[in-house]
Amino acid sequence: MHASSLAQDSLAEQVDQLLVRVAQYDQAAFEALYRATAGLLLGICLRILKDRAEAEDVVQEVFVSVWAKAAQFDPQRAKGTTWIGSIARHRAIDRVRSLPAGISAPIELADTTADTAPSPPSIVENRAERVRLDECMEQLDGRRQSLIRTAFYEGATYDELAQRSGSPLGSVKSWIRRGLLQLKACLES
Amino acid sequence: MNTSPPRHDDDTLTPPSDDVRAGEYVLGVLDAPARRAVQARIASDAAFAGLVENWERHFAAWLGRVDAATPSPHVWAGIRRRLGWPAVQSVKPGLWNNVSFWRGAAALAAAAGIAAIAFGLRQPTLPGPAPPLASEEAAPRPVTVLARDDGSTGWIASIDTRSGKLVIVPVPSALDSGGRVNELWIIPAGGAPLSLGMVSHDRTHTIAVPQALRAAIVSGSLLAITLEPQAGIPHAQPSGPIVAKGQIQAI
Repeated sequence: MHASSLAQDSLAEQVDQLLVRVAQYDQAAFEALYRATAGLLLGICLRILKDRAEAEDVVQEVFVSVWAKAAQFDPQRAKGTTWIGSIARHRAIDRVRSLPAGISAPIELADTTADTAPSPPSIVENRAERVRLDECMEQLDGRRQSLIRTAFYEGATYDELAQRSGSPLGSVKSWIRRGLLQLKACLES
Repeated sequence: MNTSPPRHDDDTLTPPSDDVRAGEYVLGVLDAPARRAVQARIASDAAFAGLVENWERHFAAWLGRVDAATPSPHVWAGIRRRLGWPAVQSVKPGLWNNVSFWRGAAALAAAAGIAAIAFGLRQPTLPGPAPPLASEEAAPRPVTVLARDDGSTGWIASIDTRSGKLVIVPVPSALDSGGRVNELWIIPAGGAPLSLGMVSHDRTHTIAVPQALRAAIVSGSLLAITLEPQAGIPHAQPSGPIVAKGQIQAI
């Protein structure tokens, strides 16, 4: 466990350093960045898009975009892995919104019982933050947890969440908004 | 507890605060027009962009929980094409997998002591032939390319038969997410693997082959790299998966 968290820290550090070099248009650093992160970014896009060809296309867009705007990355403000992972996630969500409805396979709401299972190690942020987010999630009621989790991993809209959970749209909005406020209060306490 | 829908509908008639809007955007629940509106606001309103950044940081831990997937080889080629870079293929068959090319490259890398050479040489502006080297460097240095399963080059090993040293040039790659390290093995034809110790994933370095193992560094033996726990290196035998391998050609 100890060795593994060391490796994760050093991946995050490595990504930060690579991004700083990519900002100076260092092609070798860019290829190393691809090797270090493309698998995770593809995983993130696949969860949202459910289609490998679409997800791989988005990953290509993401790296082209990273090459162009790496200079905007500020290691003082965000971890490189968070920065690049967020770019990929938002590109994938924008893509899934642009596809004709019904192209992505329906998925069940995230199982709330998964919350009690041990979490796999995060390679994106350090251990302390991971535990904090989990602790704060546990304070939400099961339905809010499940909606928030599904929204994050699948990029599902309010409408889709309402359909899937069989709850009125207004209720779903309200649960998520209140859940977000509760989470924030806990995370920033 | 009253959770009847009308009350919640009323509740959502008021527009959410900026902070909740930012959270909704990061969470991914907004439809396309709402996302476009938020993205325009991020671009024009630094305070709002800060709220979004804050939510990204709050949820960052979950990004790493997604199972990674291996991209098809065409993904990297497509990125290069979109950037207007020369296709990998135009270099690969000619040079990238050409052993005599690497003989010069590894000698040059050893002389310069840098791993980045492995990348620099991949670009169209190739350096000329290796510069004249000191007499010891000029000794025959058979080169073995250790290829990954997908055919890409993982490491290049240059063998100095006289001093019993291996120069290892990695094509920089990610560390194993499980914390394992790369261990190099020499496998004599028909024999069991013998550990040559740890190799770097991103730096050129030299391995002194123990006297007892030098006899194994011959044409026909296999050099292989496996993922192993760092503790206990050199191990008596490999326990992890092979990440790259290559057969030693003529010495």
